[in-house]
Amino acid sequence: HCASVALSTLVCLSGPQCTTDSASGVSLGRDYRFWDGLLCWDETPAGNFASQNCPDYPSFDPLGKIITSGLSIQTKALQTLPKAGVNHWNTKAQVITLNLFFSVEKVTKYCDESGNWVHSSSINKTWSHCLTFSKEKIKVKYFHGFLETETELDPTAESQVSPVVTQKVEERKKIINGQYKCFEKMNRDQPYNKSGPYCNRTWDGWLCWDDTPAGTYTSQNCPNYFPDFDSTEKVTKYCDETGNWFRHPETNRTWSNYTLCIAHTKDKLKMAYILYYMAIVGHALSIVSLLISLAIFFYFRSLSCQRITLHKNLFCSYVLNSAFTIVNLITVVNNPKVVQRNPIGCKVLHFFHMYMLGCNYFWMLCEGIYLHTLIVVAVFAEEQHLHWYYLLGWGFPLVPASIHAVARKKYFDDNCWMSVDTHLLYVVHGPIMAALLVNLFFLLNIVRVLVTKLRDTHRAESNMYMKAVRATLILVPLLGIQFVIFPWRPENRLAGEIYDYIMHILMNYQGLLVATIFCFFNGEVQGTLKRQWMQYKTQWGQRRREHCSTRSTSYTATSITEVPAFMYHHDCNSEHLNGKQTEDSELVALKTGETYA
Amino acid sequence: MLIGPVNLSVLTTACSSHYGNVIEEFCLAKFKLDMEVLDQRQWCSWEDTVESYGELTNCTFLVALKMNCFWPNRMVDEFFIRVHRHYFHDCSMSGRLLHDPPNRILGPFIVVPILVTLLMTALVVWRSKRSEGIV
Repeated sequence: HCASVALSTLVCLSGPQCTTDSASGVSLGRDYRFWDGLLCWDETPAGNFASQNCPDYPSFDPLGKIITSGLSIQTKALQTLPKAGVNHWNTKAQVITLNLFFSVEKVTKYCDESGNWVHSSSINKTWSHCLTFSKEKIKVKYFHGFLETETELDPTAESQVSPVVTQKVEERKKIINGQYKCFEKMNRDQPYNKSGPYCNRTWDGWLCWDDTPAGTYTSQNCPNYFPDFDSTEKVTKYCDETGNWFRHPETNRTWSNYTLCIAHTKDKLKMAYILYYMAIVGHALSIVSLLISLAIFFYFRSLSCQRITLHKNLFCSYVLNSAFTIVNLITVVNNPKVVQRNPIGCKVLHFFHMYMLGCNYFWMLCEGIYLHTLIVVAVFAEEQHLHWYYLLGWGFPLVPASIHAVARKKYFDDNCWMSVDTHLLYVVHGPIMAALLVNLFFLLNIVRVLVTKLRDTHRAESNMYMKAVRATLILVPLLGIQFVIFPWRPENRLAGEIYDYIMHILMNYQGLLVATIFCFFNGEVQGTLKRQWMQYKTQWGQRRREHCSTRSTSYTATSITEVPAFMYHHDCNSEHLNGKQTEDSELVALKTGETYA
Repeated sequence: MLIGPVNLSVLTTACSSHYGNVIEEFCLAKFKLDMEVLDQRQWCSWEDTVESYGELTNCTFLVALKMNCFWPNRMVDEFFIRVHRHYFHDCSMSGRLLHDPPNRILGPFIVVPILVTLLMTALVVWRSKRSEGIV
């Protein structure tokens, strides 16, 4: 093909050309020939039309045969192709199968009175018909990111191309979009106003480059067109001293350095998988530990009181959150086919996930408000009505979740709502951060009150309260810190990896953390468990028939030792008077020597 | 037939300046037709123009291949700048992919839930105070 074009060029241009000749006036086109890039036009008398058939350049297969300038094509390219969507044209080869069939149309050109070749409107039409790329005729597999959806696929490449054809269409859309924005920007930006040589603003096929002073490197972030392009890495382009963009020595074409975009992709992919499995393990562990804690809380009625009720609700929301996260991770995140299909179910799943996330943090807020009311607002008061807490914990998170769903559907309706590149996520994260801040404020207020007001009068009490508050005070910053340090990922690779691991642990092992601090480290729970264990030991140690009497005596024995020393309303310390228990006891006793977490 | 140095360079060289002319004649012509079919108001609508724009780009690329040019190049840049000046000069810059709504919409979407959260918290605190009989 190229040879035929070149030959045509040679043949055409070896003759004279149609030019304007103001000196000779009218009669031109005589003894002149014109090569317009694709066809050779013979001498034509001025004021006449010349017409010929559209050129029929034979199809060419560049695999191994044609070296077009700038694209060195290796036959092995097919194997390295689309699976990972790699096609950076600067360092790897492109595979192009190009069969251009020209329809048999006529082309006409008009040589006007002054001897210039001009177009008439019919000419335009026929020219465009010559190069009509009907989809049935064109087989363009792949060229640096552009892919026409085609009906005929080369069978050898089909297995590699067809599963990812729709992905290519998406990539192409992004690239065309980038191109459009680039040329718009190039149009609207101010012209270069500094002195000295510079390289003109340009579109290199993937990214937009501004006017750059000569002799400097300029860089920007890698695009996100392809799955293995890391958008945190940098692309560099060099403008040389003469004011021209750097040309690659092998191919002599302007060249931007995209090598860093895929340099570390394998490692990053590996790390992404590690983090993914860590997340699943974290949430699974959280579910297990939370279920154990819930079992403990439900089984040991002696523990139950208002604060424990709040704990139970908190743990429930964490269990559900972890469950939704695991389902989300396994079915959607790791499954590009589902994302491609974009079923309504995955958006519903996302909605519930956001709702559960809100529930988590709002139940933490409820805990804080409860403690605040207990200690600061209404010390020694009777039991509180928990209805408002239930409303805040379970009901209210529907509000940000619904608003997020509506906003997402209307303004940023991507597949499965997976993208995190949108500020619409703040519709959910904003109230969560507000809740955390309010919580922190309440807890600090409690600490202040305990330290200043109660210290002198009820030292032991305030000490106990402090211990009650301690757990919540530890947890709130831990849960919140992920939102605070989230925007500041360090640039350094190693530091960035460490940051990722820490963030992941903070985010995915929260349930485990909450269960541990609120339940397993709770002194009362530990005491109760120890007691139960002792009971079981004595039970199984004794003979069966002594079972009942042993148990009742040991039970009464333990309850007798729990003589109330103080009387004040403290949560989670039900009084066992005469072996009786009440669900929501109003006056509870302090057990000396007991510690509370 | 004597082959002058000019012709030799045409034979072996990458790009001739005819490339600019050819894409002007070939590709722009079809694009013009496509855009003329559309109402002028629709020129800024990405959904309607994306296919023609993509075909225009494809066309310039294929012609570049045929003429031994690398793509994109300076002439492509200038060509597209002219195209944009003619067809898209008064379109909004905001790009065509999914993007966040403007701040005047995004702002309330974020601020309102935060305010409602704070209100709700205050309500709960107030109600728990009241239930204790202490206002």
